[in-house]
Amino acid sequence: MRKYFVLVSIVLATVVIAYITTYLRALGPIGLDTRYLAKLFLMLTYNPVYRELTAMSPEAVTSIVWDFRGVDTLYETVVFYMAIIAALTIYRGVSYSSIWGGYGLSLIVRVVTKLLIPINIAIAVSIAAHGHLTPGGGFQAGAVLAVVSVLLAVTYSASSFIKLGVSLSKAVALRSAGLLAIALVVFTPIVFSALTGVQTYIMQNYVKIDSSFSFPTHVWNQLISGTLIWLNLAEFLAVSFGFFIIFMLLSLREEVVREQIGEKDEH
Amino acid sequence: MDFSLVLLALFSTIGLIFTYLAVIEKDLVKAVIFSAIQSTSYVAVLYLLRAPDIVLVYLPVTVGLYPAALLFLVGKTERVEEE
Repeated sequence: MRKYFVLVSIVLATVVIAYITTYLRALGPIGLDTRYLAKLFLMLTYNPVYRELTAMSPEAVTSIVWDFRGVDTLYETVVFYMAIIAALTIYRGVSYSSIWGGYGLSLIVRVVTKLLIPINIAIAVSIAAHGHLTPGGGFQAGAVLAVVSVLLAVTYSASSFIKLGVSLSKAVALRSAGLLAIALVVFTPIVFSALTGVQTYIMQNYVKIDSSFSFPTHVWNQLISGTLIWLNLAEFLAVSFGFFIIFMLLSLREEVVREQIGEKDEH
Repeated sequence: MDFSLVLLALFSTIGLIFTYLAVIEKDLVKAVIFSAIQSTSYVAVLYLLRAPDIVLVYLPVTVGLYPAALLFLVGKTERVEEE
């Protein structure tokens, strides 16, 4: 009876939602038309003719994320940074370096993982470095690299981080270096303005109507899209090592954490 | 009819079935695996909807990181949900 009820409600919900979104046009007309805003973004992402409006990157999503609405993304990065500070606060006083032991999974799994990890790192770096040319970017690459931390913790046990020389303090330092690099890119136009007296804007990527300041868009004839490649690489560092910290802390055994924090198990 | 719409319907249905299985499953480890399968089908859906940027972030987060975080969490509590 219960299963029958669930099945009927799923079918009903599907029919109602399909009807609302297609015939009632709740999401606006669905079709092949590109909407006006989308056309605007597509026209301006890489357009050397409209120099003062373009982001100089053929990747529309990265242009929007780091240029057209760049400050939004900056604050998202800060929120992520603060969330990991919260995690570090909960685990304060836990010394990671004293954790040893753990055998990990079987030899077959470990060998396969050993082969997968370099591939994973290469994909992550390429997603970050090509973020301004192909789909992807700093956050995507960071999430891909963070999978390495999960693989290490699960297949080689938590102590593998210490064996590889990845400590919590190093991860925190690298993550902070990422955020500092983002801040450096964001404030470079302001420093340039203070030094030369040229009108600039915070987080400015390319020339504006009343500002001739621009980050270099090409290096050795390769398109690097001004600030976008630097912001992607810095975000890559900040996000990947942020996730590393989270999974290093989560992979600790509960008894070890309680013992180190000195809390008595009340259950 | 466009073939990608058929694939879209197929992967959405797989996602729906595994969402249902993940919700009713009492064994939390199995529920996490069902949730990861649902995410895999949604990866195909997002790719067919031409959102490769979302695919690149959705795949590692929902198939790699999120199940891992949940499994660590299950490891710290109990595996089977009781009535």
